[in-house]
Amino acid sequence: MNADTVNCAAGAAQRPVEKKRSKIPVKYRQRNRFIPMFLAGVAALSVLSLAYLDIDWLKMTSRAGDIGVVFWDLAHLDFTNMDLILSSLVETVSIAVLSLLYSLILGIIFGMLAARNVFRLPWLSVLTQSFFTFLRAVPTPVWVLLMLVCLGMGPEAGVAGLCVHTTAFFTKSFAQSFESIPEETIEALEVTGASRLSIFMNAVLPAALSQIVAWAGMRLEVNFSECAILGMVGAGGVGYVISNSLQGYDYGTAGVAILLVFLVAYCIERVFVRIKKKFY
Amino acid sequence: MEPLLRFENVSKHYPNGVHALKGVSFEMAEGEFISVIGPSGSGKSTLLRAINRLIPISGGTVWLDGQAVSAQRGAALRQLRRKVGMIFQNYNLVYSLSVLQNVLHGRLGYMGGVKGVFGRYSEEDKQEALDLLKELGLEEFSYNRSSDLSGGQKQRVGIARTIMQRPKLLLCDEPIASLDPSSAKTIMDLLKTMTRKRNIACIVNLHQLDVALKYSTRIIGLSKGEIVFDGRPEELDDATIEQIYGTSRKNLMIGGERNDQKNSAHCA
Repeated sequence: MNADTVNCAAGAAQRPVEKKRSKIPVKYRQRNRFIPMFLAGVAALSVLSLAYLDIDWLKMTSRAGDIGVVFWDLAHLDFTNMDLILSSLVETVSIAVLSLLYSLILGIIFGMLAARNVFRLPWLSVLTQSFFTFLRAVPTPVWVLLMLVCLGMGPEAGVAGLCVHTTAFFTKSFAQSFESIPEETIEALEVTGASRLSIFMNAVLPAALSQIVAWAGMRLEVNFSECAILGMVGAGGVGYVISNSLQGYDYGTAGVAILLVFLVAYCIERVFVRIKKKFY
Repeated sequence: MEPLLRFENVSKHYPNGVHALKGVSFEMAEGEFISVIGPSGSGKSTLLRAINRLIPISGGTVWLDGQAVSAQRGAALRQLRRKVGMIFQNYNLVYSLSVLQNVLHGRLGYMGGVKGVFGRYSEEDKQEALDLLKELGLEEFSYNRSSDLSGGQKQRVGIARTIMQRPKLLLCDEPIASLDPSSAKTIMDLLKTMTRKRNIACIVNLHQLDVALKYSTRIIGLSKGEIVFDGRPEELDDATIEQIYGTSRKNLMIGGERNDQKNSAHCA
C-alpha cells in the first residue's frame, strides 16, 4: 500500500506534462454508484409528472398578479371580530395541547412496545411498528374527517383525529430514541436482576427524556398548524374562522387570524427551544 | 463445601464462527480475587458474561452458588443475577439521572411490581446508598447529574451501584481501562477493600499485567479461548507470560520499567 503510493508520486513527478489528472476520489465507491442512479430517477419522475399534470403555464403566469392583490387585502387587518378570532384561537391551542398530551402518553407506551431493545421480542416490535406505519400512512385530515363522521362536528373530532396520527408519529420516533440508548446501559441494569419494565422506566425513559421533549415540541408546532387547517373541515378552531372569512371575502379578519396563527406557532417554537436547553 | 462458581467444560461459538471459549473449567471459592489476563480476543469478556448469562454459552455448564446458570429463565434468572454484580469499562451509568438514583438502581432487582417500575425506593435503601456514597468519598455529589462526574468518580458510582445489589460475586470487565493512572489505583484499591470487607468474591478482567500481579490472589491466563495458566501470582513466570501474550514480558512493558505501575498506555 505504502510502496504503491510512493511509486505513484514518483510517476507523477516524472511526467510533469500530464498535470491535468482526474480528481482523487474521497468517498467510498459504493455510494458514488448509487447517487447518479438516484438523480436520474428523480429527473425521469419530474418529467413524467409535468407531462401528466399538463400544467397551463400561460394561465398561471397571467394570474400571478392576483397573488399580490390577495396578500394586499390580507394586510388590511380588520380587528372588529377580535373576540371571535381570539376565542377560536384558544380553542385551536387547546385542541393541539390536548391531542399532544394524550398522544405523548400513548406514544411512550406504544414506543416501548415497538423498540427492539426494551422487551427483546422481535415479533412485538414488528407488529407494533407495522400497525402504526399503516396509521401514519393515512394523513391527519382523513382521520379527522373519519372522526367527524363517528363523533360529530366539533373539537372532539379534532382531538381524536389528531391523536391517531400524532400517536403513530410518536410511536416511531420514541421507539427510535429508545433504541438509541446504549446497549451497555441496559446491560448494566440487566445484571442487577431488574425486570424489563423497570429497566425501561428507570433507565431507558429517563435517558430518552430530552429527545422526547424535543419531539413533543416539534409535534406541538405541527399539530397547531394542522389544527388551523382542520378547522376548515369542521373540527372547530381558528381554521373555521379563516375559511369562513376567506369565503365571505372578509380578507381583513382572515389576515388577523393568519397573523395570530403565525405568532402562536413562533412562540411555541421559542418556548420549546428554551425548555430543550434546560434538558440538554 | 460447594464452590461459589464452577465452570464445567464451558465453550462458546459465536454465529460469526469465532470460537471464544474452548472447554474452560475452573472453580472459585468465596473470598478469592481472581484476575483474568490475556490479549484482546482471548475470550476474557465472554468468560465474564457467561457467568451472569449476558452471553448464553454453547456447551458445558456454569454453576453459580449451586445452580446451573444456563438452565435459568425469566424470574429465576433475575434472582440469580442479583447475586452477581458487574463493573464495566465505560461505567454504563444513566447519565441524565442523579448519582444517588444510579446507586439505587442496584436495588431494582429486589423490588417487585409497581415499586420497582416507578423507582419507589424504601428509606432504608436510600440511607444505605447515601452511606455508601460517603464511604466512597462521593457524598457531596449525591444529587449531581452523573454526567458531571469525572471518569474515576463515575466508576466509583458504578461500584456503589453494584454493592447495593449485595452480590456474592463481583465481575469487573476492564474496570480501569478508561482511567488515568491515579484514578486507576484508587479504583483497584477500592475494589480490593470493598470486596474483602463484605466477603465478596471478585473476578477482574485486566490488560495491565502489573496490576493483576499486585492485587489478585489468583491469576487465570487466557489465550485463544483456553486457560493456559491458573495459579497464584508468584507462580506466573516469564515463559507463561510469553505463552499467554505471544510475546516476551519485556515487550509488554511500554515504559520498559517492570514496576511502572498502572502504565495507562497498556490499555490500548
